[in-house]
Amino acid sequence: METTIEKTKSRSLASETWRRLKKNKGAIIGLIFLVVLVIAALASGFIYDYDTQIIGQNISQRLQRPSSEFWFGTDQVGRDIFARILYGARYSLSISAGSVLIGLITGIILGAVAGFYGGLADDIIMRIADVLYAIPNIMIAVVIVSLLGSSTINLLLALSVSAATSFARITRASVMTIRGQEYIESANAIGMPNWKIILKHVIPNCLSPIIVQVTLLIGTTIIAASSLSFLGIGVPAPAPEWGAMLSEGRDFMRSASYICIIPGLVIMATVLALNLLGDGLRDALDPKMKT
Amino acid sequence: MTNIILEVQDLKKYFTTAKGQLHAVDGVTFQVEKGTTLGIVGESGCGKSTTGRSILKLIEPTSGKILFNGEDITHYDKRKMRPLRTEMQIIFQDPFSSLDPRQTISQIISEPLIEHNLVKGRQAIEKRTLELMDTVGLASRLVNTYPHELDGGRRQRIGIARALAVNPQLIVCDEPVSALDVSIQAQVLNLLKKLQKDLGLTYIFITHDLAVVKYFSDNIAVMYLGQMVEKSSSDDLFKSPTHPYTQALLSAIPYPIVGKDKPERKLIKGEITSPVNLPDECRFSKRCDYTVEKCLERNPALKEISPGHFVACARVE
Amino acid sequence: MTENILEIKDLVVHYETDDGVVYAVNGISLAIGKGQTLGLVGETGAGKTTTALSILNLVPNPPGVIKSGEILLDNINMLSLPARELQNVRGKDVAMIFQDPMTALNPVMTIGEQIAESVMLHHKDFSKEDCIERAKEMLRQVGIDDSRAADYPHQLSGGMRQRVVIAIALACNPKLLIADEPTTALDVTIQAQVLALMKQLKQEFNTVMLLITHDLGVVAEVCDEVAVMYAGHIVEKGSAYDVFNHTLHPYTEGLFNSLPNLRERGEELVPIKGMMPDPMQLPTGCVFAPRCPYVMDKCRLGQPELKDHGQSHFVACIAYDSEDFKLRRNS
Repeated sequence: METTIEKTKSRSLASETWRRLKKNKGAIIGLIFLVVLVIAALASGFIYDYDTQIIGQNISQRLQRPSSEFWFGTDQVGRDIFARILYGARYSLSISAGSVLIGLITGIILGAVAGFYGGLADDIIMRIADVLYAIPNIMIAVVIVSLLGSSTINLLLALSVSAATSFARITRASVMTIRGQEYIESANAIGMPNWKIILKHVIPNCLSPIIVQVTLLIGTTIIAASSLSFLGIGVPAPAPEWGAMLSEGRDFMRSASYICIIPGLVIMATVLALNLLGDGLRDALDPKMKT
Repeated sequence: MTNIILEVQDLKKYFTTAKGQLHAVDGVTFQVEKGTTLGIVGESGCGKSTTGRSILKLIEPTSGKILFNGEDITHYDKRKMRPLRTEMQIIFQDPFSSLDPRQTISQIISEPLIEHNLVKGRQAIEKRTLELMDTVGLASRLVNTYPHELDGGRRQRIGIARALAVNPQLIVCDEPVSALDVSIQAQVLNLLKKLQKDLGLTYIFITHDLAVVKYFSDNIAVMYLGQMVEKSSSDDLFKSPTHPYTQALLSAIPYPIVGKDKPERKLIKGEITSPVNLPDECRFSKRCDYTVEKCLERNPALKEISPGHFVACARVE
Repeated sequence: MTENILEIKDLVVHYETDDGVVYAVNGISLAIGKGQTLGLVGETGAGKTTTALSILNLVPNPPGVIKSGEILLDNINMLSLPARELQNVRGKDVAMIFQDPMTALNPVMTIGEQIAESVMLHHKDFSKEDCIERAKEMLRQVGIDDSRAADYPHQLSGGMRQRVVIAIALACNPKLLIADEPTTALDVTIQAQVLALMKQLKQEFNTVMLLITHDLGVVAEVCDEVAVMYAGHIVEKGSAYDVFNHTLHPYTEGLFNSLPNLRERGEELVPIKGMMPDPMQLPTGCVFAPRCPYVMDKCRLGQPELKDHGQSHFVACIAYDSEDFKLRRNS
């Protein structure tokens, strides 16, 4: 016989968080901006033809100021900056999101092992992280890129190193708090193997600070990636990476400053949106912290 | 054939701290008979929780022996302990931190079932989970709620259901009601008592509350600074408390009585000393009113003063 | 003019949260006369702490709102005092002791300095030396050797810390001492020491005390008067002797029955069935009706008023409208 139970409506922690996040205007503005940017970046591949419209030169239209035809103007070889910005979002976003993702996975694993087991594993992992932390991100990236050669994949790896150290630290700190909780003992008391405890009980419970860090780190990584491109060791030209565009505009600072200003503003706006979202998430994930 | 489910011999657990060896548990010996309750009483830092966790091998003991159903489990590692996890379980004090906040009630209760493959098939697991919820008095409509949506009493029932899921013989209850309100405390105590009767459970009941332990236990052991100072049947202990510390504990209970029947209170001086680098003298001597020279010469051992009533005090030697 | 040091009249406090209104305190009235100790008893969520915070107008706002009522301290209405004057009252006329002594103390100041600071705040004419001298005197009075004045809180045990908190609270001779679960975090033997100390000091300093606790044993130990709170209402109020020996309200009876204390071993406890109502959705009628073993149809009509049942023993229970009603405990 089938028994139907009337179940009490319940809210998971995730849905509670979303409910609180919705009330934060800044975070929602940031989120909308990012969603629009991502959609636009995805769509740009269908709207524009890479060879002709993104990297193809069109000297007759060079250095046109922003207008209704070219919303962001054109650059020194006549390429539509608006199209390049949209198309460039693919590079900037995928490089930063990709390197943060690689850093996230390695960082969580290393941090969880260090925090859960402690002892020698902890010492080794954290001392390496300390050393890496003491070297400026850009420098690590410069070294790696110059060793491995300049390519998008190498750039991705280079940027993921600093992300990994920061995730390892955060994960370790939260794992150490969670390790002392009684529900971990309770899992031990039913004989759960350690790897399963880490995956099922430890990591899900230290996600809150990590999620916040993801949004904030994507922001700083966008800046780092742009800086590397600006230095000429990032995404190889003529790809429309935002930092590279900024760099190319340097020579026209006086005559056509918008070539520089617009990519700069876009970088700023994107990072700002990520930070707004990150701050909002922090408040929403931990309502006690809010004053 | 004996009826002893658990035997602990000279159990010691030392922690190394910056200041020296911390004697959390220092030579504890006891036996628990099947179907009975042993109450372990003491104040914070006396080693009662460490004892409870060592029995379950959640903490690795420094030395001593733990025999579960005659099987020496002292040096079992995690893998060898695994099959025994269905025999012995623990209920925790804090109904907030003992439940994973990201799991629903049904996930929490069914986890041990799935982990040990006790019930197979999604429907069977769900059925057993609902049965367990019913056993501990949780309404079935709560299956998909999260711990943070429930009050302390219900959360403690979840912890009990989870412990019961594997059909254990022995449950260590570590202060299971001290975080609860009085009216809820009574509900949970009644539940634990009923479960013991219905399922023939053996309890090790760890608490600081003598009143609760009196209501609950067949035998009681009083701990002070890592050692048992008095051990006897519950009736004997309350009828003729012999160790000065037991007497002090009993008279420190604030009785809810106003007027004529109010028992006389006797205060003991000082506070619990640090369990680091202890000298060989009676550990209670600094707070005891009866301290004589003999007490400072060596730490007294437990001595049987009447059948089944053990006291560690120079006065009875 | 009345003799009462503290008088609370018809206090209503709500917390207006995003999810709805929490009815924390729903019209309570209390008075503490000279030299008295009142025990405010109740379980988690009964509104005890909110009541205490209201006395100093410290209810966190938002979301807390004191909807109505009067709080008279020596006949001065605390709720209409301007912020500056209120600041003077806090600590000087009214002092508070909290449950957790660790968070109540500043970890980077010595305990001597902390007591002296409290003296200084309210005795502006004292020199620094006077204050330190007074701090040492206070330490001796709470049973701590004054050589420990230079210690930091983390160097003391929990019991000692609570003694320091008591010293700080009493340093400026307050008229009213509010103690919110002062011994809950302490071990039994230490609790006994601290309770004895509080009782003795209360006499010496001639303050009145409002003791908030869930522990009827503690109440029996130190209180002259008792008020039992349930879901934001006072359901019974009277002398400690009357409330303990001639209990009137079914909830109070339920609390006593829930205690395993003096019962013979093995006998089943008689808990109160069910749970505290959600303070956002209080039941209509008597708030205790859903859990009450004596419930009648007319209990659902409205929250009964607190009525005098003789000898200043008040009870909010409609059952006493009929002359021959008696609780099982009393028959």
